[in-house]
Amino acid sequence: MATRRGFLAGLAALTLPVPSWADAGSPDYLAAGKTGDSFVLYGLDGAGKSLFSLPLPARGHAAAAHPTRPLAVAFARRPGTFALVLDCRTGEIAHRLAPPEGRQFNGHGAFSEDGSLLMTSEVVAEGSAGRVGLWETRGFTRIGEWDSHGIGPHDIKRLADGRIVIANGGIQTDPGDRTKLNLPDMRPNLALLSADGALLDLAELPEDLHQNSIRHLALTGTGVAFAMQWEGDAADPVPLLGLWSPGTAPILCQAAEDEMFTMQGYAGSIACAGGMVALTSPKGGAVMLFAEDGSYLVTHRRADLAGVAPLGDGFMASDGAGGLWRADQDALTPLAQEAVAWDNHLVPVGV
Amino acid sequence: MRLLAPLAALALLSGPALADYPQAVKDRLLPGYAEFDAAAAALAEKAAQSCDPATLADPFNAAWDAWLAVGWLRLGPVEDQGRALAISFWPDPKGLGAKAQKALLAGDQALLTPEAFAEQSVAARGFFGLERLLYPAEAPAQDTCPLIRATAADLARMAAEIDAAWTGGYANVLLTAGEPGNTTYLSRPEVRQALFTQIATALETLKDQRLGRPLGTFDKPRPDLAEARASGRSARNVVLTLVALRHMTEVLTPDAPQTLAAFDRAILLARGLNDPAFAGAASPGGWLKLQILQQSVDFIRQKALDELARELDVDLGFNAADGD
Repeated sequence: MATRRGFLAGLAALTLPVPSWADAGSPDYLAAGKTGDSFVLYGLDGAGKSLFSLPLPARGHAAAAHPTRPLAVAFARRPGTFALVLDCRTGEIAHRLAPPEGRQFNGHGAFSEDGSLLMTSEVVAEGSAGRVGLWETRGFTRIGEWDSHGIGPHDIKRLADGRIVIANGGIQTDPGDRTKLNLPDMRPNLALLSADGALLDLAELPEDLHQNSIRHLALTGTGVAFAMQWEGDAADPVPLLGLWSPGTAPILCQAAEDEMFTMQGYAGSIACAGGMVALTSPKGGAVMLFAEDGSYLVTHRRADLAGVAPLGDGFMASDGAGGLWRADQDALTPLAQEAVAWDNHLVPVGV
Repeated sequence: MRLLAPLAALALLSGPALADYPQAVKDRLLPGYAEFDAAAAALAEKAAQSCDPATLADPFNAAWDAWLAVGWLRLGPVEDQGRALAISFWPDPKGLGAKAQKALLAGDQALLTPEAFAEQSVAARGFFGLERLLYPAEAPAQDTCPLIRATAADLARMAAEIDAAWTGGYANVLLTAGEPGNTTYLSRPEVRQALFTQIATALETLKDQRLGRPLGTFDKPRPDLAEARASGRSARNVVLTLVALRHMTEVLTPDAPQTLAAFDRAILLARGLNDPAFAGAASPGGWLKLQILQQSVDFIRQKALDELARELDVDLGFNAADGD
């Protein structure tokens, strides 16, 4: 559309070419995976078609997509000693991020709305106290850090108004081998920070659910939906989904009785779309849909389902056998299959 | 294995069958569900005539035995409508089943009609529901006969539905894996992987739940937490599950001798326990014997993850095997 703004932007692009996601084929999603013995990062469109595939030096955890520039930050698995900023046009490693001495990346990151700031979930290696690492995004240098106000932060999400929500999983891990050290006393929480890092609100779970590690987040209209991993007795049918609107107590959402053990106490990824929340469990081999008010809708089964992201008014889900699926209330429908074992998460681009 | 797949398919069509999962479906799973259906029907029939625990003991045990031949497999029709949960709701650390049954005994008899009972809590139904009624810790205050009949009839209904769903469709879903229109399994290796995952998970459940719960710790053994303790079937359930898993492994591939040997050792140990309800866990000697059995089950799992996985060219799943 020939608007004045568009015309000016076009002019600016002519004089000072700013690369955009269009230069990388306009992917809708980023997905890390394994093919043969190699690790890769794919760009996918909404039909599950591969737009690019870039080599990764090691197995990644999640990626964070820059809001406008074709940059993906791939985080190493916990305990993370590096993150890579990949130029998705070429696959070149544009920057290597190393946490400061005594800090470790903990799997996820989020950009500010204008893309000028990258926030990374981190722990103090000894004791797992949570930090949010701050990086400017011209040269990706470290400019500071905030307290995450909990132990073992994992996912981090930016709300539309710029505030930040952090899932403090509550689990203290051994800095060397991920051994969990504090399961009897763990206490996860959700922390809400202002755009400049001030603590605004903190939500905890009821006492009998203190072993339910809050790990992944998805934005709802009023706050976040959160996915949990149960570290208590496997015979306890605990809720694995919660909804939190800051200023109120979290709402915990039970699956139907028939499906109360389907997820095997483990929710892997979470996404919100079309008035629904989707929760995957690779251990249980299922994706479960809830309405946005938290009421249970339906379960679809498929081995090793892990990644999930919005796709129109439903979801795209990925599995460890290379499958990409559309999930909605009616069915789980195959979209595409690649010779790639898709890893934990499907990351939407441009949101 | 994967390279040989086309040859194996040919062999299945022509000469002596090469072991693979279609044979497991035809020789083990379909007959297994048919036997469970028949045994559950026989139990319900008997219960309709008598509620006497002594009369029902044999058909009750026969039905549970038949279930154990297939009960480890949590795939397909047993997963629909919470059937597997309802058939075998254990462990139940909060006593949900007993609470729900108490409410049913005190409540409206209309809840015991087949339609209404099918909607009752999964915790109240199935073998553990029947076990609490047939082997009560103390004499019940109410007449339990209507609930015994309703529970047995409900169990038979589920067994018949599962059998019908396998013969009427799910077996074919497995056998047509990878063919156009099959959106459940996109290839035959996916079925092999699913069955392998089920075996590995069943072994883990045996180790952590059926053996792990009564073991507790050496200082604090918990024989009171043993599965099917009231009916004295704790050890029997372990043995029959091991035997079923061994059969399945053998049908899937003839080339996993170490895994089969590990099964044989564990089965021998389990049969030799001479401790039907794991009461022996309370004594140091009995506890150690049970722990040795637990270790031998863990050893089967290790062998399966190594040898059997290699032989079937499968793994536990890229994400499922990995915490996040």
